Amino acid sequence: MVDRRSVLKGGAALGIAGVTGILKSSPSYAQKMDAAKKWVENEFNPSTLSKDEQMAEMEWFVNAAKPFAGMKLSAVSESLKVHDYESKVLTKAFGEITGIDVNHDIMDEGTLVDKIEVEMQSGRPIYDFWMNDSDFIGTHPRYKDIVGGSLTDFMAGDGKDVTSPTLDLEDFMGLSFGTFTDGKLYQLPDQQFANLYWFRYDWFQRPDLKSRFKSKYGYELGVPVNWSAYEDIADFFTNEVKEIDGQRVYGHMDYGKKDPSLGWRFTDAWLSMAGAGDRGLPNGKPVDEWGIRLENGVPVGSSITRGGDANGPAAVYALTKYIEWLKKYAPPEAAGMDFLESGPVVGQGHVAQQIFWYSAFTDSARSSAAVMNPDGTPKWRMAPSPHGAYWKEGMKLGYQDVGCWTMLKYAPLQNVKAGWLYAQFCTSKTVTLKKALVSLHLIRESDVWHPALTELAPKVGGLVEFYRSPARKQWTPTGVNVPDYGKMAQVWWQNIANAISGQVTPQEAMDGLARDQDAIMARIEKSGVQGPLGPKLNKPETAEYWFAKAEKDGNLAPQRKLANEKPQGETIDYDTLIKSWPSTPPKKS
Amino acid sequence: MQKSLSRSIGMALYIVFLFVPIYWLLNMSFKTNTDILSSLSFLPPHPTLDNYRKIFIDPDWHASFANSISYVLINTVLSVGVALPAAYAFSRYRFIGDKHLFFWLLSNLMAPPAIYAMPFFNLYSAAGLFDSIWAVALAHCLFNVPLAVWILEGFISGIPREIDETAMIDGYSFPRFFVRIFLPLIANGIGVAAFFCFMFSWVEQLLATTLTTVDAKPIAGMMSRAYSAAGLDWGLLSAAGVLTMIPGAIVIWFVRNHIAKGFALGRV
Repeated sequence: MVDRRSVLKGGAALGIAGVTGILKSSPSYAQKMDAAKKWVENEFNPSTLSKDEQMAEMEWFVNAAKPFAGMKLSAVSESLKVHDYESKVLTKAFGEITGIDVNHDIMDEGTLVDKIEVEMQSGRPIYDFWMNDSDFIGTHPRYKDIVGGSLTDFMAGDGKDVTSPTLDLEDFMGLSFGTFTDGKLYQLPDQQFANLYWFRYDWFQRPDLKSRFKSKYGYELGVPVNWSAYEDIADFFTNEVKEIDGQRVYGHMDYGKKDPSLGWRFTDAWLSMAGAGDRGLPNGKPVDEWGIRLENGVPVGSSITRGGDANGPAAVYALTKYIEWLKKYAPPEAAGMDFLESGPVVGQGHVAQQIFWYSAFTDSARSSAAVMNPDGTPKWRMAPSPHGAYWKEGMKLGYQDVGCWTMLKYAPLQNVKAGWLYAQFCTSKTVTLKKALVSLHLIRESDVWHPALTELAPKVGGLVEFYRSPARKQWTPTGVNVPDYGKMAQVWWQNIANAISGQVTPQEAMDGLARDQDAIMARIEKSGVQGPLGPKLNKPETAEYWFAKAEKDGNLAPQRKLANEKPQGETIDYDTLIKSWPSTPPKKS
Repeated sequence: MQKSLSRSIGMALYIVFLFVPIYWLLNMSFKTNTDILSSLSFLPPHPTLDNYRKIFIDPDWHASFANSISYVLINTVLSVGVALPAAYAFSRYRFIGDKHLFFWLLSNLMAPPAIYAMPFFNLYSAAGLFDSIWAVALAHCLFNVPLAVWILEGFISGIPREIDETAMIDGYSFPRFFVRIFLPLIANGIGVAAFFCFMFSWVEQLLATTLTTVDAKPIAGMMSRAYSAAGLDWGLLSAAGVLTMIPGAIVIWFVRNHIAKGFALGRV
């Protein structure tokens, strides 16, 4: 028999269970603050903020996240140690502090780019928010696919109540990379890396090698300032020195396999180092290093006949040297390698220098005994890359990029707003310094000058010094001139591989590339899908017309062919170079 | 005698040659990345279980294994289940366009999965199936149903029609005949068809990764984490490669005596 007392007991039990369930799924304000305190004390140190400032920042997150507590979000980024840290540690911290559950997925960059292209083409959300490189900065604004129109507009509009007062955008070193021609920010930097010159500091210090080099080439063995010196050093180690301590050594390392990663070698940096494109930072104006000319924010062509520079003398010089050096100075297997295969090769200890090397490799290089001293300092150093014969002061000099939080408009607005909170959490001053120490990706100017970085500096071969130097501003990603990165990056590797395999000459390869780029831009123009900011190709003129116009306008691109593409080699002593850089933070204007 | 000895040696060398890649994968899976990249060694200089440990302690890896196995099994059951009556019809009945239709089925297999990626993505997004194991299981049916029909039709045609007719005379209803008499007769064929469906679905990557994100992430999606801008995690990739071969190896063990017949589409 069921009596009244039993019913009341059962009801009370159910009530308690229900309340407990609710409490469990939605932590209280106090629980969230306790969690924040735990994370600030145990994980997020050091930080450029004091503990109180960190807690104040976390309190803002606790309050701002209230409407979204209990939500489940999905984010995605490429496989890098920094994102492993975010997906395993920061999602846990963020979940406990805000009550928002983020599944931060990780995959290789190629698959990620394919997926974001599918979302952009279909208009159907795949992830709630994305991390993709700022190379897409010419693409997103033209397809108008960012929530609110731009991140700047979103922060002032729908995202106003979820934009942190301590975000401090000006503190981000890579802010200009995510900024379009309209001056608005479209993507928020989350991790940054550069492609720098890499060399065996220990070999470059050896008196016997120094004197042999000087007697043959007439100048000091040191960090090459120009390509002539790089070429001489490559020749010296591959053909003169040949063996060090019984091991065959080489003066250059690169890759030449017909693979999409071959395109990155060129679009990322080779052309800008050579001197293709025009003056201007972060990208050449009016012609960038892809050889694409931009007029009033509109791409107007990449062939030299349309005012571009993709097949100009500087670009052809770049490809010619690439092939020549790969064949003459790199280990024989290099020509059959792709980016991933060739990356760790310098860590094997038989390569003297590499013209540009991803600083993202720094952490893995530290595990290679062949290039490390027993005390944990490296035998190698990084320094700014040398420039080619066509390069002039004021031009970009290499590749540096940021993985950016990118909020597309296709996901539900509530998810995007909650996602924006997570993006800011991953880039907050509470978190970034610790994240940088774990991953060696720096994004904030304030972190760069922290004593923890000074302590780290001797172990990471010049990475910290580079970020403290004024030189880092010359290293930039693909920019606003490229109207559709996904489509246009495809044509690079195929054309370049044809030249490396000897099927076509460098001139023919770059002609083909320029033609393919213009064809893609013509298709976009014809479709009208990018509206008034989409490409509008110039009518073809002679190359001479454009050479003369550039000279008349005081611009560089396209440059005429130089009579001497191998000027006198120039080097600089690494320690002298480091001393020439400031050791204290620059004063903000 | 001499001839038989040389034949045995030749066969042994051939098998050793075939096993070299598998041995190498196994070898790499017990090495550190530094050892893999530094020198050529036939045994791990510093044997480690770290690569396997990374996989076994990470719930994301477990989940992706479970996802892959789930959609592969669902697909195999669906494909064979749908293909059985179709194969019976193609084998036993003549109707207008039967041969054309039978050949047309194969054309599905001739198209690369890439061309279906976008239509499937749109379809499953609209149907609310995106990022579910059902999305991948159903998408793979496009390739596996025709394959299973072709294999099963061969096996079914090898069974004399008289058996069907005798069963009818004996008073068997068609469903009872099909289940009680016919299916046991073509059990080998079902096993072989299931094997091919399983293998295709297990190794297919493009549709599986396009149609999923976080909840139904397949093992191929997890393996792509080993590729990064900071280099390739060879050891992790090798360990994952070894583990992904195990389900296939188990299935091959069970159908090893019937595979040749399967390749001949049931005809012997």
